[in-house]
Amino acid sequence: MIPPAASAAPPRSGPGRFAAVVRHELLASARERLPQVLLAVFLGVVAVSGVIGWLTRVTVTAVYNEALAEGLTDRPNPFGAVPELYYLRNTVIYIVLIGALLAIVLGVRSVLRDRRSGTVDLVLTRPISTASYLGAKLAGLSLWLAAVLAVAAAINVAAVSIILGRLPAAESAARMAGFYVLAWVFLLPFAVLGMLGGLYSSRETTALLVPIVGWAFLTFVLPQLGTAAHPVALLNPVAVPPAPGGFFRLSGAVFGPLSVTEHFKKAGGVLLQESQEYDAVGPAWAVLVLFALVTAAVLLATRRARLLGGEGQQR
Amino acid sequence: MSPGAVPTVRATAGRELMEFRRGRFFPLLLGLLALVMVLSVVVAAADFRIRLADYNAYVEALRQSGSAVVPAPGQLFPLQLLRGSIEYLELLGALFAIIIGYGMIAGEKQRGTVQLVFSRPVGRFTLATGKVAALAVIWCAAVVMVFLVLAAAVVTIGTATLQPADAGRLALSAAAAWIYLMLFSCTAMGLAALCHRLGTGLVAALVLWLVVVLIIPQIGDTMDPDNQVPGGLFRSLDIAKADEKAVLAHFSAFEGARNGLEVSSVTKLFERSSFAFLGVKEEFNQQPVSTVWAAMLPYTGWLAAAFAASAGFAVLAAGKRNLLRREP
Repeated sequence: MIPPAASAAPPRSGPGRFAAVVRHELLASARERLPQVLLAVFLGVVAVSGVIGWLTRVTVTAVYNEALAEGLTDRPNPFGAVPELYYLRNTVIYIVLIGALLAIVLGVRSVLRDRRSGTVDLVLTRPISTASYLGAKLAGLSLWLAAVLAVAAAINVAAVSIILGRLPAAESAARMAGFYVLAWVFLLPFAVLGMLGGLYSSRETTALLVPIVGWAFLTFVLPQLGTAAHPVALLNPVAVPPAPGGFFRLSGAVFGPLSVTEHFKKAGGVLLQESQEYDAVGPAWAVLVLFALVTAAVLLATRRARLLGGEGQQR
Repeated sequence: MSPGAVPTVRATAGRELMEFRRGRFFPLLLGLLALVMVLSVVVAAADFRIRLADYNAYVEALRQSGSAVVPAPGQLFPLQLLRGSIEYLELLGALFAIIIGYGMIAGEKQRGTVQLVFSRPVGRFTLATGKVAALAVIWCAAVVMVFLVLAAAVVTIGTATLQPADAGRLALSAAAAWIYLMLFSCTAMGLAALCHRLGTGLVAALVLWLVVVLIIPQIGDTMDPDNQVPGGLFRSLDIAKADEKAVLAHFSAFEGARNGLEVSSVTKLFERSSFAFLGVKEEFNQQPVSTVWAAMLPYTGWLAAAFAASAGFAVLAAGKRNLLRREP
């Protein structure tokens, strides 16, 4: 007679298996050379942005002093007392541009790597549910993204310290920490979109390009519909306010909540003391968290058959 | 191509064009691009109408208050409605061009037809030249279609009338757009052929797109002193345009470095020439086409040189040896 414990179905997942997939994801992501190129670009640009911010401020102050000396203005210097975090203002836009693309590429490669090598078929022969497996992969990617953002934050601190000749004040450090938590929440859905691209596409090209085109729509097209801003103007770290008029009120009401990149810019701008639009912070957090939860829910609802060999798997 | 025929550049280009006509991906991308470009015209036209309505309301308020002063009304220059569309071409058009260029090599490798083609007595660079020729035809047809749609959008949605000279301005912009898109397609094609793995070629092309299209122009824009304050630094300091130039003359080294950085990106070369042709940049608005053409020669010249280099790169990189190399 089979004892009751042995006849029961084995657990579909467990902390040990979840942690094993997370560890594997961290190792495999660290070994991926292609996202490393994007990572190098991202960290390089974050490092350079502090220098550019400093150089620009020095030049603008010199321009102001020249205008003042020539008697062309009697206005106060608009850059007389910029906040400490002024030099980080472009980091917001680099997270929107490079960070999001890095997250997409990581997500796509994460899923395609396992599908192509057949690892996923092997893993799913073990008692682990699809949701646990994908959740663990997402957890691994999110830890990886957190590590990337931690390095970017350290570069930011170093840049500000060099420019100021001292460490940033405690409030600035806290603001920076808040900003990077926000950035992490912002990047997660893009990693999920990349994973979904890898799950639903039979080709690597399509798997990469569909989420990238989606990102381009979120970054350039949706914000323009509500603000009348030119697409290139959306590369400015400052969020664009809604345009006046009934047409833009309506389109802004419809598309505004979906413009996740603008929400990130708004909340990020307040945290980095770039703007004082405090009312926008709450809704921005809500939209970003909701975006992350919805995309994660879609990922975790993936059917087992989608992961296994039958559906559009490319080897 | 008949079974016994030796593949020529024309035959391989014809084969590529046939593949494209059969595929659904390119029409989808092109439709998407045309859609966002038309949407941009809708947004620009709505913005202009709202500003015009504000002006009319202001004039009415002045009239009721008994004031005799009437401010100059805003004028609609139809081609200026295309600013956002050109920017979409810069951003998304370049991305889609990379996809098309990459697909030229990826499709061939994934189907395994490259071995079959080179089993015939075909020159080392014949296939690559045929592919570049096919790209030229594809983008020519696409650009003509997109610009016709844009012109129709300006007339119908923007309720504007185009003048005969506007056809020349649109044609010059379309030619610049063709060069720009070809440049990205050829570069992506060359990278896909050159890299050992197809995926590496695609990501290399995407990184290039990121740096050339987004990061360099963004850094250049950030370094512009006038972009440091909302509404403009000089306006916030009440400094007139003429005085602004005099002040900036003291910072020619900084401005020169900033400008040099900007024009190192082909995107800025395309943007500056297109904005000048369409009159988006005020100093070229309503100027004779020949005058604008002459002023833009340095930009269009460099753009054409970059295109020639990318086409050469595509042909040389997609030679027989690289195409027949197996993925590790």
